[in-house]
Amino acid sequence: MTTVTGGLARARRGVSPGGHGARRRPSTLKSQTRRTYLGMLIPSVVLLVLINGYPLVYAAVQATHNGSLIQAGDFVGLDNFTTVLTSAAFWRAARFTLIFTLVGVFGSWAIGLALALLLRTNIPGRGLFKVLLLLPWVVPIVVSSTAWNWLVATADSPVPRLFEALGFARPLFLADPVLAGVLVCVFKVWISFPFMMMMAAGALASVDDTLYEAASIDGASRSQQFVQITLPLIARPTYISWILMTVFCVNDFPTIYLLTTGGPVDATTSLVVFAYRTVFQDFQTGPGVAVAFLMTVTLVFVSVTLYRQIRRAHVE
Amino acid sequence: MSAVLHAPVPPSAPVRELRGRWWRFAVILAVTVVALVPIGVVLLLSILPGSTSSTTGLTLEHFVYVFGHTLATTWIQNSLMTTLVTVVVSVVVAAPAGYVLSRGRSKVVSGYSLLLFVLQSLPIITAVVPLFILFADFGLADSLVGLTIVYVAATMAVATWMMAAYFDSIPVSLEEAAWIDGLSVFGSFLRVVLRNSLPGILSTAIFAFLLSWNDYLVALVFLRTDVNFTLPIGVQSFFQQNSIDWGSVMALAVVMMLPPVVVFAALNRYFSVGGIGGSLAGR
Repeated sequence: MTTVTGGLARARRGVSPGGHGARRRPSTLKSQTRRTYLGMLIPSVVLLVLINGYPLVYAAVQATHNGSLIQAGDFVGLDNFTTVLTSAAFWRAARFTLIFTLVGVFGSWAIGLALALLLRTNIPGRGLFKVLLLLPWVVPIVVSSTAWNWLVATADSPVPRLFEALGFARPLFLADPVLAGVLVCVFKVWISFPFMMMMAAGALASVDDTLYEAASIDGASRSQQFVQITLPLIARPTYISWILMTVFCVNDFPTIYLLTTGGPVDATTSLVVFAYRTVFQDFQTGPGVAVAFLMTVTLVFVSVTLYRQIRRAHVE
Repeated sequence: MSAVLHAPVPPSAPVRELRGRWWRFAVILAVTVVALVPIGVVLLLSILPGSTSSTTGLTLEHFVYVFGHTLATTWIQNSLMTTLVTVVVSVVVAAPAGYVLSRGRSKVVSGYSLLLFVLQSLPIITAVVPLFILFADFGLADSLVGLTIVYVAATMAVATWMMAAYFDSIPVSLEEAAWIDGLSVFGSFLRVVLRNSLPGILSTAIFAFLLSWNDYLVALVFLRTDVNFTLPIGVQSFFQQNSIDWGSVMALAVVMMLPPVVVFAALNRYFSVGGIGGSLAGR
């Protein structure tokens, strides 16, 4: 599977494939080639500057002004950041984002890896399972959240009834702050495990089977083989998949918003949902954009770390 | 004698192996069944008669209702148009840029690569608010054109990368032959490189397709009038009424999940690549 290696191979190589010695061409052509390259790059640069670059700059302006969606407002320096960083709601959102991300990353990883390991063995119909298990990730979140809603939303929904049949009280998933948090995390794991399964399957495919034969001849148990052979060998791709999933979780809006809209009250409000609500429901553009800005800084840090990591992985 | 050698080992290896095999089969079957419950729910509710209905057994009444009495057809058209344009423009813009990323060797090019990498991880909400204000000035806020522009831009980083990664796998010697035959750099890109890049183009197209077909946040912010809704917002609009008509919701949900599932079934291999690329953008 080309998987992420597709994209990440770029980072790994630090861009150009280079090293094709035969590619040296007459220097008269060089400036012409450069001009062609420039022309080919321009449409994408223009788009990126207009639609990604401009808004980032404008966001910086908004974050330092007390305006609204209609007016630019006055310059207030870092007041918005102070407001945000001293508000309890922000830290609650940050805390929930952390929990949501940790559960999302490691929950989906554990299940994805377990399934990938199972699907490596000679189970009947494993080709079919591989396809079926990817469906939670193929189906649009708007669709699956609808189904989850039907399953759990009210006291009369099937899952609360199932709980009752098993001898518990009927849980009200969307009314109880803790249960709502659990629900959103489980939903995220359900959406994400196929991605982790594919990443793990790709990593496991590169592990040499003869290592296990050698290990079992030496008397290593299955679990010893897993801890001492499998995990170290897939450490690098695993690490990459963790960081990628971290970025997805932190940026995830629909998973949370479609299921709970951040509630009850703001128990499942992550930073993205918090930023959205601040701007579009409380009409506090400045603080809302400030939140988005803080997230941006964090994620730039994470992704640059990842970029370095991948490049280093290639050097080693 | 081999029989003697084998005898003392009790039911042993092969049998235990077989038992383990069925045990693993049972586990994976159980997990698959549980994982597919929500999808089964959507399919089932869309064809079961509603509580007020007189029909018994399976029915298509929800589909008839959704297509006859709601704006479903408009929403489907809106979604198809934005998605189609996004896919085409993304590939057309990202392919040449990806080529430069793949073949170019200057500092500028490597800087651009890092920039793309950083941009792909940014929360789209940072860009959405300023864009909403900017587009409102041009009448693009509550419009599919504005939405499509945002989608194209949102795909750009990952699409460029995916194309570049694919071009890396195409030997430069192919182009060199074309250059000797008198083709320009751009000419050889069009006639030699692109012609050999169908898998890369498909993966990139699938990624752009998933991003625009599934998007919820941008559409939620931008679209205000119901005739402009795309499918995700259309499905959600059914929830605003006091009592939810689950049959209609699920019928429209089936319509919405059909294209991704069909593309997935038909282009499984490219889908994996495109879809992971899609995940890169964080859906």
